[in-house]
Amino acid sequence: MLKVENVHFSYGDRTVLRGVSLDVEPGEVRVILGPNGSGKSTLLRIVAGILRPDRGRVVIDGEDVTDRPPEDRRVGYVPQHPTLFPHLTVKDNITYSLRNGRGDPDQLDELVEMLELGEHLDRRPDELSGGYQSRVALARALFSDPRVLLLDEPLSDVDLAAKRDLVKRFRRALRRSDAPALYVTHDPWEAERVGDSYTVLLDGRSVDADTVDEALERLRRGAPVGEGS
Amino acid sequence: MIGRYELLSALFPPLFFLFIAFPLVALVLNLTPRGLAQAFGDPYFWSATFNTILCAAAAAVMGVATAVGFGYYHLFKRDSVIYRIADFLNDLPVALPHTVAGLALLLAFGRRYFWWLGENGLAFTLVAVTLAMFFVSYPLAARAVQAGLEEVGRDLVEVARTLGDTPAQAYARVVVPALREALLGGFLLAFSRSLSEFAAVIMFGGNLPGKTQVLASYVFTRVEAGDLEAAVAASVFCMALSLAVVALVRSLTGAGGLQRAQG
Repeated sequence: MLKVENVHFSYGDRTVLRGVSLDVEPGEVRVILGPNGSGKSTLLRIVAGILRPDRGRVVIDGEDVTDRPPEDRRVGYVPQHPTLFPHLTVKDNITYSLRNGRGDPDQLDELVEMLELGEHLDRRPDELSGGYQSRVALARALFSDPRVLLLDEPLSDVDLAAKRDLVKRFRRALRRSDAPALYVTHDPWEAERVGDSYTVLLDGRSVDADTVDEALERLRRGAPVGEGS
Repeated sequence: MIGRYELLSALFPPLFFLFIAFPLVALVLNLTPRGLAQAFGDPYFWSATFNTILCAAAAAVMGVATAVGFGYYHLFKRDSVIYRIADFLNDLPVALPHTVAGLALLLAFGRRYFWWLGENGLAFTLVAVTLAMFFVSYPLAARAVQAGLEEVGRDLVEVARTLGDTPAQAYARVVVPALREALLGGFLLAFSRSLSEFAAVIMFGGNLPGKTQVLASYVFTRVEAGDLEAAVAASVFCMALSLAVVALVRSLTGAGGLQRAQG
């Protein structure tokens, strides 16, 4: 389980998060919605350990990891652009975490089949389309046996036609994992298909919603301070 | 009629061709078969060539290795005192008169502190020649790595760390391989800068024919001896070597590679 408790964060004088809290259950996909600059990516980077909150806690499976570096958290992170290691093949990208004793080699075939990457395992990232790069980035995160999955607009580099297919595959792959997931997107269509629950970030504060429509309505109105989590 | 805004572009061709291209052409125009025969028949010319290439290659390897270490600090320890000092001093060897650099090296690694290595410490050896070349060429390698790091992006490191890498592991496994082009550019820049070094080399390494003499000091010696034809032949050879390195850099990193590598 992932718990984010009263997290505050500023970039210098600019406050981005003002007491954000959320709980995500194992296997649950929580979609984070919000306007540009609302702190969605910042929140993911705090959970990943890349940024340290000014205040508040990040708790994974009951363990306070706020002061732990990313390498000690066991999170699977898919940044906004796929960010594959350019000198490694697709297979070596996916199994990268084995170098650090994470992941199970027996899981590779299942992941490769689920994301239809079999024909591309020996290729380099620059030989793949944006959609396939996104699949590899997700496979790499899932392969590392994460306790939490963090996906920051993972399909932003994918065209609309490919996105329809990919959203289904991503949804299936995320369901297969028992890890709680935070999924950032701007696209309501994508949010509805991939998410189990929703959090809106607005003016640095978080508000939970049960449906995409409710989340979008809160965004339109400007979610009232103090409402929700 | 040339307007004032066109003046700079109008001035470029005469300035460039008169002061940059013409001296090189003049060198080639003064090349004679006798000078070539004299230089190529001189064993000291070949030992100077060997010393130049050997020491420049060693200095460039040292430069790139040190620059890779500097890159780690640039990426992960930018707030450290070590990084701030190194970043500030990186440009000093370029600005410092190279006679001063040579004297500094002589004082640091000569008989004063390194008497236990021999009568002159490290001075007047090929090691001294290499260190002098390293001193003046390292900044180019460091800047090449710095420019390369700006292109690699922090995302790669962040992803590698979420997959279990420590900062040092992420740097070695992901960043350094991604810097391959910058490292190659840095090596060739440092190598070509080392080829041309004279002042620091002669101050610290000396100009001992057959021992520590390099091509730059060989040309100087031949001019001093009044043997201009051999000096011209050696100079043209030196220029061809430098042009070959520049062409290699451009072919490996694209036409703008040198500029990119120099940040």
